[in-house]
Amino acid sequence: MESEVDGVLVAAHELKAPLAVIRQLAFSLDELAPQNEQIRSEMIQVSERAIKQVNDLAKVRRLEDGLFVMEPVSVRAVCDDVSRELIHLYGNEKKELSVKYSNRARLVTANHDLLYSVVYNFLLNAMHYSNDETKAELLVHDAREKVRIVVRDYGPALPVAIWRRIREGGLSEPTSIAMRSGSSGLGLYIASEFSRYMHGKLGAVRHRDGTSFFVELPVSKQASLFV
Amino acid sequence: MIFVIDDDELMSRCIVRACRDHEVKEFSNAIDAMKALDEKMPNLVFLDILLDGPDGFALINEMASYTDTVKIPIVIVSSLDLEGKDLSPYGVIGILSKDSMVPEELLAYANKYD
Repeated sequence: MESEVDGVLVAAHELKAPLAVIRQLAFSLDELAPQNEQIRSEMIQVSERAIKQVNDLAKVRRLEDGLFVMEPVSVRAVCDDVSRELIHLYGNEKKELSVKYSNRARLVTANHDLLYSVVYNFLLNAMHYSNDETKAELLVHDAREKVRIVVRDYGPALPVAIWRRIREGGLSEPTSIAMRSGSSGLGLYIASEFSRYMHGKLGAVRHRDGTSFFVELPVSKQASLFV
Repeated sequence: MIFVIDDDELMSRCIVRACRDHEVKEFSNAIDAMKALDEKMPNLVFLDILLDGPDGFALINEMASYTDTVKIPIVIVSSLDLEGKDLSPYGVIGILSKDSMVPEELLAYANKYD
């Protein structure tokens, strides 16, 4: 029997190739005038972000295969790594990122790479939608036997219809967030699928001046005893 | 001399540029690269995996089967997720991801082995 070809995975691979080339071409631009260094840096960052999203999309298609090992993961370490990676982008966008931990340093049961992507997508969305001269906030705190990771932005509030869908169990497909122009909802869809795989709960809170997205993950009780 | 085997012409050129002053031969498929091995042995091979025709693994297997080519160091340059794979028994000394590699990594291999 012929094995079924997954069109999305094929498309993902086809999309990645030119993105990787663009990134390498940007590296090849030697001896640029100082004012053009910024352009090169942005070319590299944009292509890296696109590559990451294509990789995540391919991962969503592979979730059913159960290839992503669930293990004790340090939320703080993941959040530190993601915020370190994105802090330059925030700087380029002239926005601030504030990180605050009020949880005990417990480990959660998760997959490191998938959790990284969830936090990454939350923070990228927050950077994109926060109004100028505002900041995005990454907060981690305990919620009973779970750890909650919250990313708060100060931009347009999430439309009620999308908020309801998230509350009813997540997003089963990318959803254009109508009140948030320029969004395909892909990042949120990826975060939703990854959270579901990790037995986490994805949620959103509407504020008058923005939106908080959060994911709650179960504490790894055995591993946390050794921390 | 270095062999660069990649069916993506633009990516191949980026790898050549990263090798700076090293002598480089480019190939877009494994068959042409294998034929060229009969004429002159490279000191290093940068090899993509997904190629037109026989893939990079086929070339690795082929090279590992001859006494004169088995010792040529191979660096896989691919967008496949090969993290954690140990292919050293086949002469693979390194794996670079096209998603995240920087030219300095390619040059470091070139400087060390060529």
